[in-house]
Amino acid sequence: MPVSALNNMLSAGQFTVSKLEQIEVIAEEFNYASIKAALNFGFLTRKEYVHFLERSGYPLVDVRNEVIDQGFVDKCDLQHLNSFLYLPIRNDGKGKLIVAAADPMDEKLIGALENKFATRITMVAASDLDITWMVHKLRGEYYVKEAVFSLMRKDPASSGLTTFTDPQLIFIFGLIALFFMLLTYNLVNTFIFFNLFFSGTFLFAILFKLYLALKGSRYELHETITKEEVKAVNNDSLPVYTILLPVYKEDKLIRKLIWNLRSLDYPRGKLDVKLLIEEDDDKTLNAVRNLDFPANFETIVVPFHMPKTKPKACNYGLFFCKGKYLTIYDAEDVPDSDQLKKVVALFRKLPKDYIVLQGALNYFNKNENLLTRMFTLEYSYWFDYMLPGLQSLDVPIPLGGTSNHFKLDKLIELGGWDPFNVTEDADLGVRVFEKKYKVGVVNSTTLEEANNEPFNWIRQRSRWIKGYMQTTLVHMRNPVRLIGKIGWRGFFGFNFFVGGTPITFLLYPVLLSFFVIYLIFDLQAVRVIFPDWVLYISIFNFVAGNTLMVYVNMLAVFKRRYYELILFAILNPIYWLMHSIAAYKGLWQLIYKPFYWEKTNHGLTKVSHSSAAANAT
Amino acid sequence: MKSNSRHIKIASLLLVVYYLVVAWVLFRSGFEHTERLFYAEKLKLLFEFKENTLLTLGTTYPTTVFLSAIVFAPFGYLFAPVAASIVMMTLLFFFMASDLEKTDLPPKTMQTCLLLLFLFNWEFVFAAISGRNIAAIMLFFYLLFRSLFYYYRNQTTYYLSLASIYLTCLVFTEINFIWMLLSFFPFIVLVSIEGIKVSKTDLPVFQYYQALNNRSLRRKLANRTLSLYLVLFLLPLGAVYLFRTLNNAHAGDPTYFLTSQYANWRVTGSTSLTTVLEMVKGANIAKQTQIVFQVFVAMLSPIFILSLLIFRGKLYELFTIITPLIFFSIILIDTRIYLTVEYYVIVTVMGIAALGFYSTKKRFKKLTAPALYIATALTIYGSYYYFSETNDVEEQQFFVSASQTSNWFHPRSQTEIQKLAEYIAAIKSPKRPVLIDDASAYGIVAYLPDLTGLVMPLQKSFVTVIENPTLTVQYMVIAKRNNRLHNYTVMNAYNLGIMRERLQIQPSRVFETENWVVYNIR
Repeated sequence: MPVSALNNMLSAGQFTVSKLEQIEVIAEEFNYASIKAALNFGFLTRKEYVHFLERSGYPLVDVRNEVIDQGFVDKCDLQHLNSFLYLPIRNDGKGKLIVAAADPMDEKLIGALENKFATRITMVAASDLDITWMVHKLRGEYYVKEAVFSLMRKDPASSGLTTFTDPQLIFIFGLIALFFMLLTYNLVNTFIFFNLFFSGTFLFAILFKLYLALKGSRYELHETITKEEVKAVNNDSLPVYTILLPVYKEDKLIRKLIWNLRSLDYPRGKLDVKLLIEEDDDKTLNAVRNLDFPANFETIVVPFHMPKTKPKACNYGLFFCKGKYLTIYDAEDVPDSDQLKKVVALFRKLPKDYIVLQGALNYFNKNENLLTRMFTLEYSYWFDYMLPGLQSLDVPIPLGGTSNHFKLDKLIELGGWDPFNVTEDADLGVRVFEKKYKVGVVNSTTLEEANNEPFNWIRQRSRWIKGYMQTTLVHMRNPVRLIGKIGWRGFFGFNFFVGGTPITFLLYPVLLSFFVIYLIFDLQAVRVIFPDWVLYISIFNFVAGNTLMVYVNMLAVFKRRYYELILFAILNPIYWLMHSIAAYKGLWQLIYKPFYWEKTNHGLTKVSHSSAAANAT
Repeated sequence: MKSNSRHIKIASLLLVVYYLVVAWVLFRSGFEHTERLFYAEKLKLLFEFKENTLLTLGTTYPTTVFLSAIVFAPFGYLFAPVAASIVMMTLLFFFMASDLEKTDLPPKTMQTCLLLLFLFNWEFVFAAISGRNIAAIMLFFYLLFRSLFYYYRNQTTYYLSLASIYLTCLVFTEINFIWMLLSFFPFIVLVSIEGIKVSKTDLPVFQYYQALNNRSLRRKLANRTLSLYLVLFLLPLGAVYLFRTLNNAHAGDPTYFLTSQYANWRVTGSTSLTTVLEMVKGANIAKQTQIVFQVFVAMLSPIFILSLLIFRGKLYELFTIITPLIFFSIILIDTRIYLTVEYYVIVTVMGIAALGFYSTKKRFKKLTAPALYIATALTIYGSYYYFSETNDVEEQQFFVSASQTSNWFHPRSQTEIQKLAEYIAAIKSPKRPVLIDDASAYGIVAYLPDLTGLVMPLQKSFVTVIENPTLTVQYMVIAKRNNRLHNYTVMNAYNLGIMRERLQIQPSRVFETENWVVYNIR
């Protein structure tokens, strides 16, 4: 038996044989050092391990503050450094190379390193997290550059690096110029035309949503995968499943995250969970370090590189994934426990061209305040009705931020996520469709934390709406090419669902002001610009549009039996005003800070998933 | 199954031909309904008049009937409402026949009975050929309850939404059906209770007891009931609110579509119970003033009674089926108008729907088919009885036209307004205009070949012209005192007298019928 820290712990009676056997199997499967498997698959707490090392004469070295000889590090491959958790530091001046390792007693590793560097090695102990932080910082440059620029290099037409192309700028400014020319030529008729056009677009976009909701509601009780089919899945046949958890300053949620991951019904040794932490995010790193119980995820540190976005972090994480399938969760997500098994079963059942499955998202803190109630209504109709509706129409489905499950090889083939797009998921949904692949919807829900604070909500929403604008601009650079790729139906579906959403929110306050001025204040000045028939049509479009949106919100309560929320749907016009504020903020940022990632603060809720579940029963 | 579907399609097409022939025969023999003329006139205004097109299009009520008639306007304004009715009846037949494919009863027997009803039931034939809103009421009423029944089976919001959309259409076909919202209350509460019941093995009464005596379940019950209500009623109520807003914005009166004789035929077409009691012969009126009215209506439709006898389903489903009877109670209290055939015929429609969805042949076994035939025959007789006893003048006219077969193939007879229209068409010209108020004279306008040489209230100049008509027009069409619509128009005998005094004019009669006079005022 080779000497290693775990074996020594076993000899000291601090570890069990069965655990060690399981660790060896995982280490073999993932090609990891045993200590990495032990610390990242829930067998050993870091505190316990550090305690053991110190008692064994290996005090921890703070590698982040050591002088590092980059020449030695450059000789090592990041994948190997990351898998075996070591970092060459420098020559000790006595002919020996000092190497910091998570397991300084690992003789196998020492032997390998002596061969590699052709010198004697002095092992010192260091925290696995610090080693990870250092190796990614020192050797991650190539990977992070790939994460940022790979899509742009492979498929520049799909990259959002350029927000507005020259023809798009000419088109937009041409339209503005035309508008002002027409105003000087015929003020009244120009106003009439634009009023009718905008109010018509508003109504049509909402009618399309109603149509989708009705289409989707037909499949309300349809279960793509039944409980029996999930039960029939053999654990031994399950592949390795990667879960990416991109986080930024989510230190408060780490404990919760571990419990949520533990509740997943999937063999522990086949879950490749990656917690993606930014280089400057010591808060989260320390939270992981200070855990009192074993962690069941691996930490990957994403080196600093602009843009600092979630898709960049995910792309970086892709280089280290081991799974056949991959999904993304946010730190606070509570997926249905059988979600991964359902996805595996559904992928097996569906034709091969289905490469992504989207799970439904909903909220566990729905009754916390007015905002969370409105948010819940919105998510319920979006994921329970709209997405199945879009799927039934066979048009591009904008993926949700989390709980989208990919076939990893196909995701890599697509070039991963666009790091310059702040709704990379929606963009990816369209790119999947462009490549003639399909997105399916799986009947499983992930509960998230609804944003319960208005300013935080506006920040989050402004990013989403900006992302929809970006996605529209990217894919509409060449409309003819887009039609060729996704067909007319997909083209209209995409434009009304993705392109139409920000436009609707931008138009909403304008149409609302006309309505208020005309009906409530009855200003005659409006009648000078708009004759009665124009106002008639505008009022019809506006009131009908609002009523239908309230209606769509109301439909949302039925599938999940959230009947107590139904009256809140009436407040949708106010909720839409908040959307409009976010839309204008998003538009502003699209012009001035297109790649800026508006961070949403999580962990603000006072409601826990378990208490919400207890109240519901 | 496929060939049966083809048979249904063929039968539907044949039904269209049948209704066209019946319409042709009855119109030749002098039957016509004023509601049809009303729509025909509005279509003419919409397509041939330059002013206030939006007012005509946006406020004419019932909207569904008017909009569907627009589709057929190219075939003739007078024919369009009839064509729309025939198409709607055929669609109704198609949906019913298709649904009966899946019934527990013998499908062939049911479909034969259905065809017999569509061919010979007087109410159905009247609905198809009168050009009234009855066909639309029947169609949307059936689609509404069909959707509800599908909702009970599938429990998907899709069917609930469809029900809400059809309810909206129904309200926009006949505003009184908005009162049906109240009659939905019992079954919606029962549906909600059904959804939250616990210990489903117990007797229903114990299940209800438990559901109502547990605070948490009671809260759920209230929430679910409210949700069902809102989802069913938001669209119709929202649509009515929107229509009121538009009427207010465009006509200056939120209830213009209900109260203006220019926008709604009902204003001049429906008759209050008091008027009927005072003026019109017939026997039905007595039934409408008594609490046994529902029994009377059900007796006229034995197929409905049969559907209750062989009903197999849950309590809330039974309550849904008897909705029309609850609705009658509300409508009689609220409107105090004489209920015409559209209220009777929905009971038969409900009977057919109930047979299709909630009946079992197990109850009578071998007697099922004969019972269905007998009920169908009696329902046809019931419809005949209704028309023979009706107090509505125009329904009486239909009965006469349809029952006096000897008149069917006589030379075409001309009605009073046709004669009047013929005369006005001959005298009017842009140089010698005719002042006419379509509030009551819509039938005359509908029969005119075109609108040139007319001055009507839709024109902005109308108010000026009526102040001093001698300056602008040559002729005036005046409603006589005995005209039923005398009080709905400013162009009546009373106002003519005032005009004579005020303007010192000496109008001379150039043409006169029983209800109308054409004056030359220059």
